[in-house]
Amino acid sequence: MEIQRTIKYEAELDRQFAYEIAQSPGAETLFECIQCGACSAACPVSIYMDLTPRRVIAMTREGFKHEVLSSLTIWLCSSCYACTVECPVGIKVTDVMYALKQRAIKEGYGPRKVLTRLLAQSFFQAVKEDGRATERKVMLRLYRRAGLDHLIRMAPLGLKLWRTGRLSAFGTERIKNPAEVRTLLECLEEQEGGKSP
Amino acid sequence: MKGNGEVPRIGVYVCDCGTNIAGKVRVAEVVEFARDLPGVVVAREYKYMCSDPGQDLIKRDIQEYNLNRIVVASCSPLLHEHTFRKATAEGGLNPYLVHHVNIREDVSWVHEDSDEATRKAKAIVHGAVLRVAWQKPLEPQSVPVRDSALVVGGGIAGISAALTLAEAGKQVYLVEREPTIGGHMAKFDKTFPTLDCAACILTPKMTAVKDHPNITLITYAEVEEVDGYVGNFKVKVRKKPRYVHEDRCVGCLECIEACVFKEPRFPNEFDLGLSKRKPVYIPFPQAVPPVVTIDPDTCLYLRFGKCKKTCVEACGDRNAIDFDMKPETLELEVGTIILATGFKTFDPTRTPKYGYGRFPEVYTSLEIERLVNSSGPTGGEVVMRNGQKPKRVGIIHCVGSRDKNTNPWCSKVCCMYSLKLAHLIHERSGAEVYNFYIDMRTPGKGYEEFYNRLAKEGVHLIRGRVAEVTDAPLHPEEEGKLIIRVEDTNIGVVRRIPVDMVVLAVGLEPQPDADEVRRLFNISCSTEGWFLERHPKLAPVETFTDGVFVAGACQGPKDIPETVAQAQAAAANALALMDKGSVEMEPNVARVNEELCSGCHICIGLCPYGAISFNEEKKVAEVNEVLCKGCGTCTAACPSGALSQNLFSDHEVFSEIMGVLL
Repeated sequence: MEIQRTIKYEAELDRQFAYEIAQSPGAETLFECIQCGACSAACPVSIYMDLTPRRVIAMTREGFKHEVLSSLTIWLCSSCYACTVECPVGIKVTDVMYALKQRAIKEGYGPRKVLTRLLAQSFFQAVKEDGRATERKVMLRLYRRAGLDHLIRMAPLGLKLWRTGRLSAFGTERIKNPAEVRTLLECLEEQEGGKSP
Repeated sequence: MKGNGEVPRIGVYVCDCGTNIAGKVRVAEVVEFARDLPGVVVAREYKYMCSDPGQDLIKRDIQEYNLNRIVVASCSPLLHEHTFRKATAEGGLNPYLVHHVNIREDVSWVHEDSDEATRKAKAIVHGAVLRVAWQKPLEPQSVPVRDSALVVGGGIAGISAALTLAEAGKQVYLVEREPTIGGHMAKFDKTFPTLDCAACILTPKMTAVKDHPNITLITYAEVEEVDGYVGNFKVKVRKKPRYVHEDRCVGCLECIEACVFKEPRFPNEFDLGLSKRKPVYIPFPQAVPPVVTIDPDTCLYLRFGKCKKTCVEACGDRNAIDFDMKPETLELEVGTIILATGFKTFDPTRTPKYGYGRFPEVYTSLEIERLVNSSGPTGGEVVMRNGQKPKRVGIIHCVGSRDKNTNPWCSKVCCMYSLKLAHLIHERSGAEVYNFYIDMRTPGKGYEEFYNRLAKEGVHLIRGRVAEVTDAPLHPEEEGKLIIRVEDTNIGVVRRIPVDMVVLAVGLEPQPDADEVRRLFNISCSTEGWFLERHPKLAPVETFTDGVFVAGACQGPKDIPETVAQAQAAAANALALMDKGSVEMEPNVARVNEELCSGCHICIGLCPYGAISFNEEKKVAEVNEVLCKGCGTCTAACPSGALSQNLFSDHEVFSEIMGVLL
C-alpha cells in the first residue's frame, strides 16, 4: 500500500470553475445544494460511479476541477433525470453533468473511447450531414470507432429491431435542405471554440 | 408661502442613519437644499436622529428658533414616526406638526446611483416641507379597552395564554374547534428532551382551564364573524351541536357502553384512525370537557332517524343526550384576541416515493406518537399491523420539509421528535433504529445533549435524504422487508437498508383554513401561510391589527417550550393593553363639513368599516371617529367635497405632490 498526500491546497483549486459551470442552463441553483444526497440515492447508476452525483456537485462548487472532469461519473450518467426530479433545491443535476461533459471534452479530459461520447459524436456527425439521424448510420459509425466487439455484441438486438421494422437496413433519411442545418451547427461549433463533442 | 394661517417656521432634520443613508445619499447636499426652501428656519444633518441627542436637537431647536413645524427625513415612519412625534411633543409642539419621510427604504436602500438617490431625497424633503406647512394640531382619540379576551385554539398555546390571562383576573373565552382541548400535545406520549410524560404535564393545565372561574370554555365551536376594533371586538362563535348537554353529562361513559353498535367500528380521529370508536365517543380518557360527543355522520338515529336509542336509556335521569340540539351562535364582546390555531402535519401521500398509503408498515410520526402512547391504540406497544414487534425501524427526517417541490422551510421540531421516537421505539420494542437526516438540527436547551444520548444508545444516524422506500428485494436479506435507498453522504456510498417499519417525520404546515382565519381577524400571513407577526424580532406576538396577537405554531413551526413562551408573551401583551384600559387612535379620521354635505348617502355605502351614518335631523353624514380607520374612501368619493381627512387634507396631499414633482 502506497501512502499518498491527500491534502488539498487552495492554490490547487480552480475558484472560477464553479461560477463557469453555474452559468450553464439548469445549473443556476448549484450553490443552493444542501448536500442531502437525494440525487445519488435516486440515481440508478450511482452504484457504479467513482464519485456520487452529490460529491460531483460539492466538488464542482469548491473548484475541484481536475477531480470532477476526470471522474467516471459524468460519463456514466444515463440522462434519466431521476436526480433532477428528486432534487429539493431544483438543481438540474443531469444538465450539470452535460455541462461537465462538454467542459471535459473541451479541456481534453475524459476517456476518448467512452461510448456516451462516441455516440454523441456519431449523432452530431449524422445530423450535420443529413439534417437528421438515420439510426443505422449512427450505429455503424459508433461501432466503427468503438470497436468491432461492440458491434458483435449488439448484433442480435440489431437484427431484432430490423425484423420488427424499427431499424432500416438501407437508405438514408434526409431533410430537404441539410446544408442549412449544417451552417447552423458550424456556427455553433465556431462559438464553442471549434470543437465538436 | 401659503400655510395654515400662521407663518411657518420649519426645522428640517436629515438623518445619516450611520452609513445606511449617508452611504448613498449626499446628506449635506440635501440639507443645503432644504435650508433654502420656503419657511425653513433651520436644517441639520445628524448621524442618528433617533438617538437621544438627535431627539434633543429637535427639542432644543423648537425652543431656540421658535419652530412650529418639523420635518424629519430618515427611515420608515413605521419604525420612528412615533419617536419624532414624542420628541416634538416634549419640545412643546403638537405632535401632529411633525412630518416624517423615508429616505432609507425608499431611497438609499433601493437606488444604486448616488446622484439619483440624492435628487430623490431632495424631492421627498421638498414635498415634506411644503406639506408640513399645512398640517394642523390634532388630538388623538382615546377609546376604552374591554377587560376580556378571546383565545382561539385550545392547544398548549391557547391553554397557556388563557391561563395567564385568567390568573391576571381577566375574563377569557377559549374557543376550540374539536370536542376537547389539548391539541397536538395531548396526542404525544413523551416530550423532548427531558422525556417527561406529555399527559402528566398537560392534563393538569387542561383541568385548570375547565375549573378556572375566569375562563369560559367553548369547545366544538368556531369563530364565524369578527367585528369592531382594538378594545372593542364583537365576535360571533358558532357552536356545533354535540347532541349532549355539557352541563348535564357527568362523563360516566355509560352511553358509550350502551350504544347499539356493540363493537367500535368507526376510525377514531384522535388516534388518526389507528383505533376505532363508536358514534358516541370521548376522544381520550382525560378529555376536557370530560363529556361525550355524538357524531352525526355515524349515529344511526341522526342519520336515518331510526334507532333503539339505548344511549338515552343508559343516560337515564341525567337527560344529557339531546338529539334535537341545533347549532348555536354566541356573541362575545372582548378587548383583545389571541390566535393560537396551531398547525397541521404534512400529508405524506404528496411524496409517493415513501410509499405512505401503499405500504401498510409506513407510518407518519404522529401515528407513531399514538402507538407509543400508553393510552393509545396498542397501549404503548410498538407493534406492526400483524401484531409483531419490528426488528428494524427506519425514521426518515424532513418529509415534506426543506424541499422546493413541497415545503421549502425547515419544520424545526422534526429532528428532535425523531430522536425522541427513536429512543421510545427502541425502548418499547428493542428494535434497531435508523435515523435518516439531512442536517441534524438540535439547537435548544438540553437538545444537543439529547442527541448525544441517542448516539450513545446506538441509534444509527445516517446522513442522507432517502430517495425511495420500496418492497422490491435485490438481496435475500431484503425479502419481505421495506427497503430504504439512501446515499450515506458521510461515506459517499449508496446503501439499501431493509427495515420492518418506516416512520415518516412529517413537517409542519399552516392549517388548511389558515387563510380564511386570517381574513376573519384581518391579519396578514407570510407567503407560506403562517400568520405574520408585526416585526420578526421586536414584535413577535403582535400583528398588524391592533389588539390581535398570535401565539404558537400558527405563526411558524415551534416546539412546546417556545410555544408556551410565546403564548405567555401574547397574554402579557394583551394584558398590557387591557390594564392600561384605553388606547389612543391615530387621529387620521375623516370629518364632515356639515355646510357642504348634501346628504347624498354615497359615502355611507362605501365605508368598509360602517363608520358613517346619516343624521336625520341635520340631514348630513356623520363619522364615528372610533370606527373610522382613515382609509380615505369617503373623502375621495364625496361629490360635494364635504369630507376631508385629518393628516390627508387636499392641501396637504397636493402640496406634497407639487413638492415631490420638483
